[in-house]
Amino acid sequence: MIKGDKARMHPDKAPGFTRREILRGAMAVGAFGLVTGCRGKNNQNVHRIAVPLQGMTAEFMQLWLRGAQAHPAIRTGLATITVFDGRMDALTQANQFDTIITQRYDAIIFIPVDIQAGVGPAAQAKAAGIPLIGSNTLMADRSLYRCYIGSDGVVSGEDVARAVVTKLGGGKGNVVILEGIIGHSAQIERRQGIQTVLAQFPNVKVLEMKAANWSRADGQALMENWLTAHGSAINGVISQNDEMALGAIEALKARAVDLATHPVGGVDGLTDALDAVKRGEMWTTLQDANAQAQGSVDLALRVLIGPAYQPMSDIWKQYPGKLDWGDGTRTEYMVPWTAVTSENVDRLLAVRRAG
Amino acid sequence: MSSAPKQMEQVQARASALDSIGRLISRYGILIALVLIVLVLSVSSENFLTAGNLTNVLRQVSINGILAVGMTFVILTGGIDLSIGSVLAFAGMVGASLVIGENPHAPITAVLAAMTVGAGLGACSGVLIAWVRLPAFVVTLGMLSAVRGLTLIYSRGMPISNLSASFKFLGFGNVFGVPVTVVLFAGTVLVAWVVLGHTIYGRRVYAVGGNIRSARTCGINVSGIIFSVYLLMGLMSALAGVTLTARTTAALPQAGVAYELDAIAAVVIGGTSLTGGVGGVLLTVVGVLIIGLLNNGLDLLGISSYYQQVIKGLMIVAAVLIDKARHADAV
Repeated sequence: MIKGDKARMHPDKAPGFTRREILRGAMAVGAFGLVTGCRGKNNQNVHRIAVPLQGMTAEFMQLWLRGAQAHPAIRTGLATITVFDGRMDALTQANQFDTIITQRYDAIIFIPVDIQAGVGPAAQAKAAGIPLIGSNTLMADRSLYRCYIGSDGVVSGEDVARAVVTKLGGGKGNVVILEGIIGHSAQIERRQGIQTVLAQFPNVKVLEMKAANWSRADGQALMENWLTAHGSAINGVISQNDEMALGAIEALKARAVDLATHPVGGVDGLTDALDAVKRGEMWTTLQDANAQAQGSVDLALRVLIGPAYQPMSDIWKQYPGKLDWGDGTRTEYMVPWTAVTSENVDRLLAVRRAG
Repeated sequence: MSSAPKQMEQVQARASALDSIGRLISRYGILIALVLIVLVLSVSSENFLTAGNLTNVLRQVSINGILAVGMTFVILTGGIDLSIGSVLAFAGMVGASLVIGENPHAPITAVLAAMTVGAGLGACSGVLIAWVRLPAFVVTLGMLSAVRGLTLIYSRGMPISNLSASFKFLGFGNVFGVPVTVVLFAGTVLVAWVVLGHTIYGRRVYAVGGNIRSARTCGINVSGIIFSVYLLMGLMSALAGVTLTARTTAALPQAGVAYELDAIAAVVIGGTSLTGGVGGVLLTVVGVLIIGLLNNGLDLLGISSYYQQVIKGLMIVAAVLIDKARHADAV
């Protein structure tokens, strides 16, 4: 009898409860649908721009997106942007391109997860007649772009290497190099720049060069190990991005190494890095996410509206002589890097916090 | 005295009737969820229920689908394979290396080479789990790391691109209007469904997962069955690997990271029990479709991927609740 009771109770209760759970889950999905359903309607006057980007977990992508959303054309409703989060996975991004093409977006602003794997989806978009504007990361086949706006990674590599090496006493000493994920376009370009500069300084010796995968934690661990291996022989640190440089700084601090005499250089100008520059702990060069984002929106609208379109973003006045709109038909626009110094760091931080 | 057995019989009959109703509900619960998702998406996005978009959904799910079919076999035996993302990357890389340069090999050569690699790696896991009797979780966790390392060594950390056009057909081509990747997925499902549901081998897979001791007592070569599912998983991972490589037009050293999670999620959402013995391939297909539709639909609606992950997580927990309820019946 006890057994029977048990058997009767569970089929009655448990599956009913779980079905309700599923219904509730589906209702949650439905609620999202209702909230955003009205947004799906097409308005013929609004230019719909799809933005497949690398992944929303990186601070730089957040800054880029913030810049794009602050563009006057987006704010006034002349155009809309829809973000497709590639989640740092090339397949996810390829799948999202299918959706973008089926949805017939007017233009695509593309930040590829991978410079090689981006080519296939980009070619599909071109075949479908949707103009493709590149931003931030240059994909392997440039012929698929209508135009591209980014910053030259090789230049940032040269800048960070030069900054660190010139701070070494008499252009002489031992450095270690922290690399990003091997094979990423930024890693390849920044390495090239670093090596170009180091070739000009024969008295600078590279003790170690290894990937810390753009990660602060990896950079810190690697630096700790190098300090164990080489001790005080390390005079400077060249890092391909700020995250790894910040990790290295933590390791150096833990060893009570004087950061004033041991230069650390990074790239990107993340908020934490700007703070570190302010404290005199490192050097970095700022990649202008806002200019790359707003510039790409202007270029997309130039393609969609034609010669009548005048750029609405004020980024085109920000770098006189270095970044000019022209008539908006050039195929490549390079946003200059800004070296972060004790003089300009307060202003840059204020801009960052204001956004 | 004679009424007692009769009473017992009645109770048992009623219990098993209720039990089967419960099972029907828990089985169709997931189908209801699928139908609801389709309905909600059809209403809220005008572009959802179009042939183009539905083809996209099928193409988008096919790689996770192929992996999830293999994972269904593994989980049915009560096992787990965490190494599939790494095996996928390595096999895809080996396949890609044969279809580059001046004289690329035929795509079929690349596929066969990749599948040989996948089978080899799956066999390594299989031997350690089936005969050395190490826990599957630990063995495949080790393989996850080791094979990713091999991938990076083999590729020197660089992607392999410029693949031959005939190879890329696997990722972009159509057969009678159906994408090749979808054909591969459908074929995999069909074969797996026949094997699991209609062969002695399939019944043995269920038997091993249901009760390993009685399976052994019945004279089933339990170790052989366990070995075979990891071998099969390796083959499926490799097939997914070449398909993914063709689809992304490059073999990437970091391809497939965390794909095991989506494959396991699809199997679990479909209702296959993590303790083994209960479930099936068609249920897994429903799980695969639910995940794919959520990803696609939330993209169409412009909802952040942050919510996508929350919803997927809730679905997994809900599916395990169903499974727990079903187990409570069985006890």
